[in-house]
Parts: sequence; structure tokens; C-alpha cells
Amino acid sequence: MRVVIAEDDALLREGLVMLLTSEGITVEAAVDNAGDLLEAIGGSAPDAVVVDVRLPPDFRDEGLKAAVEARRRRPGLPVLVLSSYVEDSTAAELLHDGVGGVGYLLKQRVGKVGEFIDALRRVADGGTVIDPEVIAQLLVRRRSSDPLHNLTPREREVLGLMAEGHANAGIAQRLVLSDGAVNKHIRNIFDKLGLPPSENGHRRVLAVLAYLKA
Amino acid sequence: MCDVQLRPRLVATSGAVRHLVVGLGLGLLALFTFAAVIIVAALTPFGVGLPAIPPLTVWARTLTSWQRRRVATRLGVPLPTRHRPLDGPLTRQVRSALSDPATYRDIAWLGVYGVIGTAGGYVAVALPLFAVNAFTVPLWWWAVPEPSLLGYPIDSWPAAFSGIAVGLGYTLLAVVLLDPLAAATARLSHVLLRPPKRVRLAAVSAARAAALEAHERELKRIERDLHDETQNRLVAVLMNLGMLERSLAEAPEPARRLAARAHDAASDALTHLRQVVRTIHPPVLTERGLDGAIAALAAGSPVPCTLTVEPFPRLPAAVETAAYFAVAEALTNLAKHSGATRAQVRLRAEADLLVAEVEDDGYGGARARPGGGLAGVDRRVAAFSGRTLLISPPGGPTVLRVELPCGL
Repeated sequence: MRVVIAEDDALLREGLVMLLTSEGITVEAAVDNAGDLLEAIGGSAPDAVVVDVRLPPDFRDEGLKAAVEARRRRPGLPVLVLSSYVEDSTAAELLHDGVGGVGYLLKQRVGKVGEFIDALRRVADGGTVIDPEVIAQLLVRRRSSDPLHNLTPREREVLGLMAEGHANAGIAQRLVLSDGAVNKHIRNIFDKLGLPPSENGHRRVLAVLAYLKA
Repeated sequence: MCDVQLRPRLVATSGAVRHLVVGLGLGLLALFTFAAVIIVAALTPFGVGLPAIPPLTVWARTLTSWQRRRVATRLGVPLPTRHRPLDGPLTRQVRSALSDPATYRDIAWLGVYGVIGTAGGYVAVALPLFAVNAFTVPLWWWAVPEPSLLGYPIDSWPAAFSGIAVGLGYTLLAVVLLDPLAAATARLSHVLLRPPKRVRLAAVSAARAAALEAHERELKRIERDLHDETQNRLVAVLMNLGMLERSLAEAPEPARRLAARAHDAASDALTHLRQVVRTIHPPVLTERGLDGAIAALAAGSPVPCTLTVEPFPRLPAAVETAAYFAVAEALTNLAKHSGATRAQVRLRAEADLLVAEVEDDGYGGARARPGGGLAGVDRRVAAFSGRTLLISPPGGPTVLRVELPCGL
């Protein structure tokens, strides 16, 4: 897999390069600003881009804007956005174009190497990855009358993992359940929430997130 | 014990005596200058006094600036002054002197202090002298033709020694009276010579604005340094620990467990850091400004929420934080307890206040619990001299209104 990194903190950038390289991923370019990032993807499209939300010169959301712009130039370009903190409004911005291959994670998730690489591969494959903390924020802000309260704790876990972008297999692995059990839970969830059953993948994430944000 | 209280009082009294005695000299000068001012003022209609006005004004300014320095030292409060410069031809100088409000403050002081300063100085000189006189009666009464003290004749030794008691009385009077007297004359001068209220308030406002701006820079610096940089450092630690864990995949269990524990500890530290920074100054406020941050809150509200924003002036960062948390708390409570189907958030400026209102169509009857979230909001808002109002009749609608001064 060929990846382009955009991160202004030198320590972090070098660390990411080392981490990815040690997992057999080629880092085509490691840049420290938005302009260089857009240039780097201008040539041959990488398999994925890892970019920090805050980049010079203003350190507000240059990275985010560059990610959105990059996907405008190359629709479907897999982009994994890293941030010091997460807000669901930013997630919404990234998911806005409805095309898969988007990830939004807290920077500290890179510490769990296995999960980070997994997330990167999922994004590169066109999947969706949303940081659990974003989902937690969405799950917390519910009305007292929300049907979400009718879900069992296990079902809430499955719902959360679906919203984070995990496929059924991934959910089964994390919760140590059989695939059949996972499927059953998902069917129950969609029933209780009154959602039409959705196939795997990006569309399902969008449907669940749309429900949670409504 | 009596000694401990006495010494500082004696020191204070001697300081007061010095102040008042100098004040005596200054008071006499002021009195004469005041007289001169009257004379010049009387002669001016006849055109004679004009050339005297500039030098007299300069002399008055000299006197008052001496007094300002003395008062500033005594009271520990600076007493700034601004006088119009006198330059150019005579007519321009006269015009400057007469149009300067400071000139009239100086004249008022001359008149008042001419009397008060002189009188106070007299008391400060007289009391010690009387005391010495009374104490030493035994030493000289026999040598003086008609010795008397306080109007009573001294005709015997016992009477003479009673002078000591009288002396003590004078001393006591001095110790009790002189320090407050000096403070009072200083304060009187302070009131007469200080710049008018408008100027003082402007200075206070400017100082406060500067303080708030400095606070805002600090908050942003904390957010940048603490949040971003420190977080990046910790993330680097996490990355290394993560890679260590991977390389220990074949290693014995204890080593793996230790690496995992180190990883969890660092991860917890990072999460905690993020939460702490959020309560100081939510990063979303820096990234999107107050209206953007509140828009994010409204968009994220489980109860459908409309947001109306009217232009408001730029606010200090800490005030923005208070407004943000107020709306966040209101929306959270609304979602949990109100049973509302719709909510409105309104953000606007009213006179010099920033007003944030959160209204819902729920069943009302909301109350702020002590120690609850709304109480916390109220504390933040009150710290900026703002107000929180909760209007929630049973049956609704409920409105939470937060007012924060945006003027300084």
C-alpha cells in the first residue's frame, strides 16, 4: 500500500513514517503543509492519505479543508483524518459527499498499532472509520423518548461499532461473538429503531449515523 | 503587650507629624498663592492682570505637583495629572491656562488646602510643644513669675508634677489624632486633585480590556502548548509503546503485559489531558468561533434545534467559553428532561450585553438543582458580571436566558 502523510509536528511525522514502514506500508511522501499535500497527490494517486486536521499556517482546519479538496479532485480518494479532538460536525463534513473511503480518528489511536493499521486498510478499501469518541458523543445526546433506550446493552455496543464503520466480521471479532449472533443483533437493532435493513459497508454507516444525528 | 501596640503608633505619629509640618509650609504657600489668584482675577477685567496669569498658573502647578507626590507617597495610590502646556505668545498662554479644567482644580485646592493644611500643620506643631511644655513644668516653674498650665496657677510642687499628667494627656492626644489627621488631609487633597471621573473610568476600562486580552492570549497559548504540543508528545510515546507491544508479540507474557499497561496509562493520561483542556477553552471555539461552535451544538442536539444568530461584537475568550458552556448545558438538560419536540437557540447583542437564549416547547417546570450543571453555568456567567435566568412555568415553554457583558 502506498500512503501520503501530512503532519506538521516533526516528531509525530517521523513516528508515523516509522510505524507504517515497519508494517510494510510504503510512505510515498511525508509533508508538513496543505499545499505540499495537494501537490503530492497530484501525481500518481496514493492508496491512502493520512492528514492532521490542523496544519500551518493558521492551525485551524487547513488539513481538513485539504482532505475535502483532495477528494473533490480525486473522488473516492481514501483519506484518514487525524485530530487532537473530535467533534461530530467535522465527521459530518467529511461524510458529506456520501462517498466511502473516509476515516476520522483521534491522534492517540495511532498508539494501538494493530487497530490503526486495520483502520487505514479499511479506509483504503473504501470503508468508513469514525472514532469511537464521536459515536459516544452521539449516543450520549439522546432524548428521553428515543427508541435507542430500548436497545439492550449488547445491542448498543453493536450499534456503536457499526457507526464506527466496522464490518460484521470486525464486530464479531471485537465482541467475541459468532457471525450469526452479530447478524441477529443487527437485525434486532434495525427493527427496534425502525430503520430499513441496509447492506454492509459505507451505506450502512451513513444510515446509522444519519439516524444518530437526527 | 502595650508596648507592641505603642511602637507602631509612635512611628506612625512621627511620620504624620512630618507630613503635617511640611503641609504647614505648603499650606501657607497655597494660602498666599490663592490670595494672589484672587487679586489677579480682580485686576483682569481692567486688563492689568493678564501677564501674571501664565507664571501664576505655572507656580500653582508646581505647588500642586509637590502635593500630588506627597499624597501619592502617603496613600500609596498614584495621582497622575495632565496639564495643558503653556507656550507661544501671551494671549495663547492665557487662553490655554484658562481653558484647562486642571487649572480650576488647582485653584480650588489652593483655597481649601491653604486653610486646612495650615490648620493641620499648626496642630501637628502645637501638640508636641504643649506636651514638652507640660512635662518640663517641674524644671522651670520656680523661675517664672506667674507660672500656669491650662489656666491654673502652679504654686506648689505637687501642682508642678501634675504637669507630667497633662503632658501625658497631650502626648496621648497627639498619638490618637495626628496620624488620622494627616491621612484625612492627604485624602482631601487626593479628591481635589485627581482627574475627573470620566478619565478615571476610561483608565480602568483600558486596564480591564488589557487584562482580558492577556487572559485570552494565555488561554489560547495553553490550548496550543498544552493541548497540541503536549498531546503530540504523548502520542509519540503511545506510538513507540504500540510498536514495542508488536515487537514483544513473541516475548513472555509478563513483558507483554507491562507494555500493555504502560500503553493504557499513557492513553488515559492523554484522554484526561483532552478533557481538562476542554473545560478551560474548548478547541472548537478556537476553530470555529462562538457562532460556529454553537452551530455545532445546535446541529448535534437530539431535539431538532434552530439557531438564530444576529451580529455581536468580538468577545474575550473566557466570556465565549462561558456562553458556549451555558448553551451546551441548556441543550443537554433539554434533551434529557424536557420532553420537547423543538428547540430554538438565539444569539444576539442587546445594548452592551451578549444574550444567549435557549427555548424549548417541553412541559416546563424546570428548576436549577444546587450543585447541578445549571449552577455551574451560573457561576461561570456570574464571574463576568453576567446573569442567568430560567423561566419555566409548568406546561412550558422553558427559556434559559444568559446575559454576558460584552462591553468593557
